[in-house]
Amino acid sequence: MDFFLSLVIAGACVGSVYALVAVGLNLTFWTTKTLNFGQGAVMMLCAISTALLTAQGISNGVGIIAGIAIVALVGVIVERIAVRPALKTAGSMGWVIATLGFGILLQGITSKFFGSQAIPFPEVLFTVQDVIDIGGQNISLQYVSIFVVSILIIVVLEGLTRYTVLGTAIRGTAQDMELAIVQGLPVNLIVSGSFVLSSIMAGIAGILTAQISGTVDPAFGFELVLMGFVAAVLGGMGSSAGALVGGIIVGIIGKLVGGYISTAAEHGIAFALLIMMLALRPEGFFGRAEVSKA
Amino acid sequence: MNALRIFLTKLATHPLALLLLFVVVFFGAPYLRGATLQILSFALVSILFTQSINILTGMAGQISLGHAAFFGIGAYGSAIIAKTFGLNLFLTIPVAAVVSSLIAYLLSYPAGRVKEVYLAMMTLGFGQIFLEVAREWTDLTGGVMGLSGVPSAGLGTLIILGHKFSTIDYFRVLLLITACSMIFIRNFSQSRLGRSLFVMHYSELAAGSVGIARRQTKQLAYALSGLLAGISGGFYAHLVGYLGPESFAISRSIEVLVVAIVGGLWSSAGQVISAIFFTFLPEQLQLFAEYQFIAYGLILTFTLILFKQGIGGLLFLPPRFIRQTWLTSAQRQSQAVATNSKTSEPLFLKIQAASADIKVQAITMRFGGLVALNSVSLDIQAGHITALVGPNGSGKSTLVNIIAGVFPPSAGQVFLQGADVTAQADVEMAKKGVVRTFQDPRLVPHFTVRENILLGAHAKMHYTWLEAGLSMPRVHQQEAQALEQCNEILQLLDIEAVADQAVESLPYGYRRMTELGRALLARPKIILLDEPAAGLSDVEMSRLAEILVKLKHLGITVLLIEHHMDFLTGLVDEVVVLDSGSIIFKGDMLGMRQDPAVIAAYLGDDEVQHA
Repeated sequence: MDFFLSLVIAGACVGSVYALVAVGLNLTFWTTKTLNFGQGAVMMLCAISTALLTAQGISNGVGIIAGIAIVALVGVIVERIAVRPALKTAGSMGWVIATLGFGILLQGITSKFFGSQAIPFPEVLFTVQDVIDIGGQNISLQYVSIFVVSILIIVVLEGLTRYTVLGTAIRGTAQDMELAIVQGLPVNLIVSGSFVLSSIMAGIAGILTAQISGTVDPAFGFELVLMGFVAAVLGGMGSSAGALVGGIIVGIIGKLVGGYISTAAEHGIAFALLIMMLALRPEGFFGRAEVSKA
Repeated sequence: MNALRIFLTKLATHPLALLLLFVVVFFGAPYLRGATLQILSFALVSILFTQSINILTGMAGQISLGHAAFFGIGAYGSAIIAKTFGLNLFLTIPVAAVVSSLIAYLLSYPAGRVKEVYLAMMTLGFGQIFLEVAREWTDLTGGVMGLSGVPSAGLGTLIILGHKFSTIDYFRVLLLITACSMIFIRNFSQSRLGRSLFVMHYSELAAGSVGIARRQTKQLAYALSGLLAGISGGFYAHLVGYLGPESFAISRSIEVLVVAIVGGLWSSAGQVISAIFFTFLPEQLQLFAEYQFIAYGLILTFTLILFKQGIGGLLFLPPRFIRQTWLTSAQRQSQAVATNSKTSEPLFLKIQAASADIKVQAITMRFGGLVALNSVSLDIQAGHITALVGPNGSGKSTLVNIIAGVFPPSAGQVFLQGADVTAQADVEMAKKGVVRTFQDPRLVPHFTVRENILLGAHAKMHYTWLEAGLSMPRVHQQEAQALEQCNEILQLLDIEAVADQAVESLPYGYRRMTELGRALLARPKIILLDEPAAGLSDVEMSRLAEILVKLKHLGITVLLIEHHMDFLTGLVDEVVVLDSGSIIFKGDMLGMRQDPAVIAAYLGDDEVQHA
């Protein structure tokens, strides 16, 4: 039972990061119905920048802020060169391939100039030795902190989109982009902003994960973003609550399968869930089926 | 540049030139250096693998980010069977390819239900599942340590019927298989089935409207794609002699996409060049190998946006989707007919038995909270032209969509010739003779007018994918008949002059006519036209009116949605006016123009003064 509980808690913590990634994906899905398939590279870039900067003796805080600033810029660039032109000319295949390509480009540049070796990541929040007692279990404070940070960010973001003018503008753009343009909303800015925010979410998720794994390498982030997809699809694309629930479910199932059956199947089971969910209920647990007039 | 393109296209499609190329490479193989032969073999594997993407992504428009899995199934499958049972590759590769095809076929069930982002994710996930299995199922695949000792020509361990296979023998077999596959794919792409894949790419709704079954079409694309990927994977296995799971990771899926996109999606010739280029480049140019991922990233980011046609578009004319010889004889026929008579009607369209009628009973349609149709009942008389008019949002298109089977009604029934056909899918309705056009023409933009119209004959032809690929006599016979009927329709619509131009290059009026032609070639008993006159010039409009009268004479029941009152006057037998989801008038044109309810809801006072 103790083993079970510890798996569930660890799963929920990891799952909260998946949820964070999923919420980031939702942001751009709202505004443009697109996702950045190179989001994994964004996570990697943020974590590696932070690791490299702190290795130069810069303080953790400044390193993290710089890392996040870099990926925020990447968000703008991705939207400008890979999404906007592709939406105009090449249809859906265009942006999927273009964003995927941009991710590979980032990964290629990083491994070319910083090597493909793993780089140690600094201990930003707590150390591996810090533990807290939850229900008789010793849980690593690092795990707990990523859970708290992730949930906090998701809640704040949800609050912003629900209760501020900016949020209303984003939801307006999501509902009907043409109408938003006619109404004089700065749609380009909102779309750009959604990619920036999405990249920042990915960056934070990258830092939180690197915290646990202890190292980062250029291939880092790929599996994580896939898990984010699974979480987003499970909950229903576009739903924040769905992303949260979906992320935690994926995290817990993954850990349980890993603990009781085989660690090898930990990720495989998530992808199997993804395929099943898409086949049976593409709109997810929390999404509504799109009603469209042909 | 265009002259060069024409020359290269002639060269690349000329049977003798291709045969010569084949013979030179086949018999020249022994004179090549071993390393060159090895790289050429890899290039052939890459060509085969790229053709697999060509079918699924290029033709059918179904993106796959996990294609390395099918390649891997072919490779591991053939290697494991060969090692375990000591069978030779002429048995093991086909078996592995069939397994790969079967798994692709199974994947098409969930994949066929999703599109775009979701499909991209699903295939990505599928690729990862395969990779995890290959890594972890150590007993079968050797796990991360890999599978060594696969019979290979390079290692001298490939023995077939007591004969030791040299790298030259292996290369020749591979070359032969590649050449046969290319011919098969060429034949397939110029058949009803090849063309049907492209419609799926551009409009699944249009596919259904002429009786192209969506699910089967996707299944075919997946199965064929899986088969080719399996074959290429099998040859890869016996070429390298060792398989590690990382050879089948996402990077290989991306590589094949890069090759296909740079070659030009759906251009086989361009892809061949691209495959050879990307196989030789990293081998010859150390610098490229070093920057490989940066290059791939740049290519993927920009190619589809800036350089969509790829190498194929640069060097060759766009490929055509009707066999050249059949096309030429159809063109000759059409000229002969044109000089003889100009007034004939396409008699093959004549409805032999009684014309068909449609009865709509108490149809209600709700979209969420919106009631688009509220208990509408309507008899559409057989052999009549009936117009459906009314203000925007009155439910006209919804009614047509329900009759055509695009979506089922919330309540109520539809009867076709007395038989209940409520909620039958559009594919079924098309096969029963209910065919429709769309408010915005839904065509394959890079197809010619003739190729687009020929899509209508899809369900009237019956040959299979195997017959198509092998170019069996039945294919020729049915295609020739469809082309003949297509000629008659081109003549009826008066668009013979542009028959072999791509529709994307033509003005709007021609596109409308093309779509009407596609619907007609499906041999409708009842044709549903959604605003057929919108965007037409006066000349085109009177031409359209003549055509509709001819259709009526042939016994075809016509239901059209229209806003042009002048166009309808004198043409239609009955007019039905919808407003806010209810019928407010049924009768003739004159009665409608004087009906106070219609004037209030739709026509306005202006119209009364004109009338």
